[in-house]
Amino acid sequence: MEEIINNTNKLCEFLKRMIIDTLRLEDISVEDIETDAPLFREGLGLDSIDALELVVAIEKIFHIIIEDEDVGRKAFASLRALATFIQQEKQES
Amino acid sequence: MQWIETEDVVRFNEVDEWGMAWHGHYMAWFEVGRMALLRRFDLLPKQMVELGYVAPAIRLTCDFKHPAGSGDAIIIRTTVAKPEIAALTFKFEVLLKNNRTLLAHGETTQVLLTTEKKMVYRFTGELERRIDRLVHFCHKA
Repeated sequence: MEEIINNTNKLCEFLKRMIIDTLRLEDISVEDIETDAPLFREGLGLDSIDALELVVAIEKIFHIIIEDEDVGRKAFASLRALATFIQQEKQES
Repeated sequence: MQWIETEDVVRFNEVDEWGMAWHGHYMAWFEVGRMALLRRFDLLPKQMVELGYVAPAIRLTCDFKHPAGSGDAIIIRTTVAKPEIAALTFKFEVLLKNNRTLLAHGETTQVLLTTEKKMVYRFTGELERRIDRLVHFCHKA
């Protein structure tokens, strides 16, 4: 896992797969998720309950806690933002 | 799973032109059941606000199985699912009191927001303690 976290491209691919699996997005493939597009609303179109599911998945997989919407807004701004957030949290821990 | 039961009666003004309880009223009966359950665990809407939270519903489902008529005594059964995420899903059944025929069953899901309208990603503090008690009650063996 450390190897994936330290490689931004690999981490982005991993996170795309995690989002598809966690949210059971049957019609979406890894290629459909743009790294810099917003994850919520106009981008991938995720909603508030999706955020709660992703928070739980990230806690289970990376042992990183996203406390509230303030942190979530930053972390879920885009796939790249989420990757950066995870890398920063892991560096600090 | 443990359910709590609340009784009500289908009122004259709750039936439609065909003499059947109008489908929308089942949502009000779900609410009666939910309040009866939440009251036991100090989680009524006013008490949630005192803790700094509101809990808007984001999803509602209902399957209708059998019609009820004016004057029918009904039982509303309510429980809560074990939360996997920071949301509460209540399950409901509405039965005829005299022979326990299932009239309808459904679910509602509520998320938690702070009173400043920020979404809650995890239950903490007193809110978590009260929700734990509620979930434990509904799932004790």
